[in-house]
Amino acid sequence: MSGIFKITRREFLRQTGVGAGALVLGYSMFPTEPLSAAGLPDLKDIVTYGFPLGAFVAIKPLSGHITIFTHRAEMGQGIKSSLAAVLADELEADWDRVTLHQADADAVNFGVPFPYPMPGAPAIVKGEDAQFTDSSRSMAAYFLAMRLFGAGIRLVMIRAAAAKWGVKATELEARQQKIYHKLTGRSIEYHHLLLEAKKVAEHPPETDEIKAVLKTPDQWRFIGKKTMPFVDARDMVTGKAVYGADVDVGRRDMLTAMIVRCPVANGTLKSFDKTAALAVPGVKFVEPVLPPGFPMTGGVGANFIPHAGVAVLAENTWAALQGRRVLKVEWDLGPNATYDSDAFRGELEASTSQPGKPVRWKGDVDGALGGAAKVVEAGYHIPHLAQAPMEPPVAIAHYENGQWEIWCPTQGPELAQHYVGLAMLEPEPLKWLIWLATELSELREGERETQQAFNESIAKLLNVDEPTLFKMRDDLKKRVRDKIKIHPTLLGGGFGRKSNPDYVMEAAFLARQHPGVPIRVQWTREDDIQFSFYNAASSQYLKAGLGADGRPAALLHRSALTSFFATIFPPPSPSASAVENDINAKARAAFHNGGEYLYGSCIERAQGLEDNPYAIDNLRIENSPAANHIRCGWMRSVANIYHAFGLCSFADEMAVAAGRDSKDYLLELIGQGRMFTEAVFKEEHVPAYDNNLFPINRTLVSIGGQEKEISPGYPPDTRRLRAVVERVAKDSGWDEKRGKLPKGRGLGIAAHRSFLSYVAIVVDVSLNEANELTINEIYAALDCGFVVNPDRVYAQMEGGIIYGLSYALLGEITVKNGAVVQNNFDNYPVLRIHQTPKKISTSFVVPSPEVVKDYPGGEVPLTGAGEPPTPAVAPALANAIVAAGGPRIREIPFYRKVVVR
Amino acid sequence: MSIFQLHVNGRLHTVDIDGNMPLLWALRDILGLKGTKFGCGVAQCGACTVHLDGRAVRSCSVDVGVACLSKITTIEGLSSDGSHPCQKAWVELGVPQCGFCQPGQIMSAAALLTATKGANPTDEQIDNAMRGNICRCGTYPRIREAIHKAAGGSSS
Repeated sequence: MSGIFKITRREFLRQTGVGAGALVLGYSMFPTEPLSAAGLPDLKDIVTYGFPLGAFVAIKPLSGHITIFTHRAEMGQGIKSSLAAVLADELEADWDRVTLHQADADAVNFGVPFPYPMPGAPAIVKGEDAQFTDSSRSMAAYFLAMRLFGAGIRLVMIRAAAAKWGVKATELEARQQKIYHKLTGRSIEYHHLLLEAKKVAEHPPETDEIKAVLKTPDQWRFIGKKTMPFVDARDMVTGKAVYGADVDVGRRDMLTAMIVRCPVANGTLKSFDKTAALAVPGVKFVEPVLPPGFPMTGGVGANFIPHAGVAVLAENTWAALQGRRVLKVEWDLGPNATYDSDAFRGELEASTSQPGKPVRWKGDVDGALGGAAKVVEAGYHIPHLAQAPMEPPVAIAHYENGQWEIWCPTQGPELAQHYVGLAMLEPEPLKWLIWLATELSELREGERETQQAFNESIAKLLNVDEPTLFKMRDDLKKRVRDKIKIHPTLLGGGFGRKSNPDYVMEAAFLARQHPGVPIRVQWTREDDIQFSFYNAASSQYLKAGLGADGRPAALLHRSALTSFFATIFPPPSPSASAVENDINAKARAAFHNGGEYLYGSCIERAQGLEDNPYAIDNLRIENSPAANHIRCGWMRSVANIYHAFGLCSFADEMAVAAGRDSKDYLLELIGQGRMFTEAVFKEEHVPAYDNNLFPINRTLVSIGGQEKEISPGYPPDTRRLRAVVERVAKDSGWDEKRGKLPKGRGLGIAAHRSFLSYVAIVVDVSLNEANELTINEIYAALDCGFVVNPDRVYAQMEGGIIYGLSYALLGEITVKNGAVVQNNFDNYPVLRIHQTPKKISTSFVVPSPEVVKDYPGGEVPLTGAGEPPTPAVAPALANAIVAAGGPRIREIPFYRKVVVR
Repeated sequence: MSIFQLHVNGRLHTVDIDGNMPLLWALRDILGLKGTKFGCGVAQCGACTVHLDGRAVRSCSVDVGVACLSKITTIEGLSSDGSHPCQKAWVELGVPQCGFCQPGQIMSAAALLTATKGANPTDEQIDNAMRGNICRCGTYPRIREAIHKAAGGSSS
């Protein structure tokens, strides 16, 4: 059994600039060798018997300076500081001597599976996705891991001091990077213990009297407190913070590339005339971005590749822009050139007017609708939306000797590495699919069947057996990791856009054409808005039968959505071979239960559709088919955007139809609340509910004949939804204001569970006689379990609510002839300060003891706050407008129905 | 290409560039002052805001040939040590999220406080002065609060 850390590779130290003298401490709770059952679940044993993993912490032997490697992408959520401070808290690091270093894409060293890394546990997200910063899961996944990293190293330091001084470890205390021995008054700095620490770590004591490793909450310095540091704030306000375009690669010969892209997804380059562009002073080269024959479809993520384009490479940005302006290009626009988003809206609405594929049902909806005293029905429409982060996409790539070094703002460092690697090293799309080959033992129940079908098919196509397939996959991954270095920078906003690395691939392609010369691909705002990965356009149709008491006896909810899985996995195409179509379909089905083309994936259906929280006896939820003609991706809260808009608006429509108070009616819809176990979903015919990749149920694994908990479970729990509604009603003075607001003023309410957290919103609006809307105040309540960094979570609530207001009031991407119509903030407006309410206040709701007692271990696991605030905003606002005497708005953007100044 | 003299943050820089080059790109690409950000290129978002003779302008839409007639201040020159009242208030109230738009926000706010001669602006004055600066993270409520704080007042 090895120790918990080691002096790691010189190469790593050289590249990270820490200096070769430093001791690098890595720590993992996920040993390759199964632990003995006797060793679990005592934290003491877990930290004792970890294995050398990687590079989260480095301590310099001379100064005691500590470097913490932050592995998640920082895009405004503050996670860089928060996770590091959690680690430092448990480590008892002296924060004044701590520096943070953004880690490279490094699936080997940072490949810590989550949520509960324990031996024998199936990884919820595999190690290679550990840096992929999406789904509001950084803190949920890594809070405990970071605490254990810190505490484990602190324990080693205590043991090292005990060995050095020949005293009992229990007599020692760690405080601010020093070990104290109370009895003798001695103390010693961590960095003076490094040699002893190495010995102790490599040969942990057979027995150890130290039982408690993790700090208790009263001992925390940062966790859960206002003292949480925000390391980049000062650099951000002085202009020193380094974003993608700000990286100084130390080369004056760097070229800046501006690209003219084909306006239609999957179109191809026909010809171009570079004469005029080359005549612009400073322009050096004009050339196609994609190599001839580069796959436009086919293979995993093939549609995540760049649009076809022609690049103008110049000495500076202005010259590149000038050159691009005069560049003449002809395209073969391809089959998507007929795509028209207005016509498509008609198709979506036609789709939801017909029965779709049932994805959850109970009772007899049709019977109950037939016997209803009153039938309410409504359709809602949400257009494509672009994320529009303030920093447009940008990447700098340098190619030499068969290797790429890339600096870029990215939410997915390993994902960027993976796509760049496949595109550069493996031109055959079929071989890209090897990446998805997965051992069934890695998977949860419900995922294995589709994975097996895929594994068998791809192995057959390649004419290899399964072990060879897995070896090919591992070799490919290693080759990619060896050849592609990704250095993530700060992100000037992400919101899902920077999950998709098409801009990084563009830089890598161009760099390959110019070995030795760094190339910066700079996107303009026009590029960003016209070549996004758009949030799905969607239509929602709801129908309810109200009984004589006004309560719904039956509810039907249909959703048609353009699935982002159609972008990841090419839909069946007549121009592709039967073999290609078959393997692509199997790949999609295997990847997170992606389902089949025309329908939403498991992930999208789980975001506010299948997890309908209302207590209604007769319920049928259907997914209606929808084609796809444009690159779709993710935007802050993703499928919750359209599902919450439909469902939470409709809840209010039912209340209005029943003549009831909206808040009281909503509470009645939720009822007393319940936990949705997997059994509940099964009973109601949901075969595999995707719970943001986290397990619904408490998860136990058998290790050495003993059952060990690896996850407390994250069940949808409508008692918690109820609690946030009650809290926001109280905060907003809902009951006191009822019937007392002046004409033209109204409150609207909505509540939604998104990315495992529960949010309720009350919006207070005024609507004057000119139909001008003013948003007076917004109240929010959030239950995310435990709040680790209160200030940043408040900030996420403020920001997430404003993001929701922005798309609700103003957001719309339209497509004509396959090309996006909008191109800058003048015609794709986003919320500005004068449109922002004067007050946005948030309360954190702590789960009640009655709720907590049902969670194993007596603790509700903490969840995220980045995406949860957003979805309930649009419906709460729509409901408020009705309450203020305005129209019922069933489509985004609202500015078409009310005046937004 | 022509020779221009740019007075930036109290220093004189002589550059040989196209006079139509927007000041933004001269600052970033030629002078290496990267605190001024590119957000839209058409004076819609304010990320590139700098001061010309103390007035807030969008540097993406001012040519070098025009900018050379004024004293230019960028975020790097607002203070030598982050001690401008806006910078201090921004840090104290935790205004930034991703931070990308904040140099532009601060330059607009600083110009507002110069215009009010340090008096605490009303929320309406803030909205008018700051509506040209977009923040996608949604830091607007804290920006308002920080401007009041920087002006020595409490939020209204």
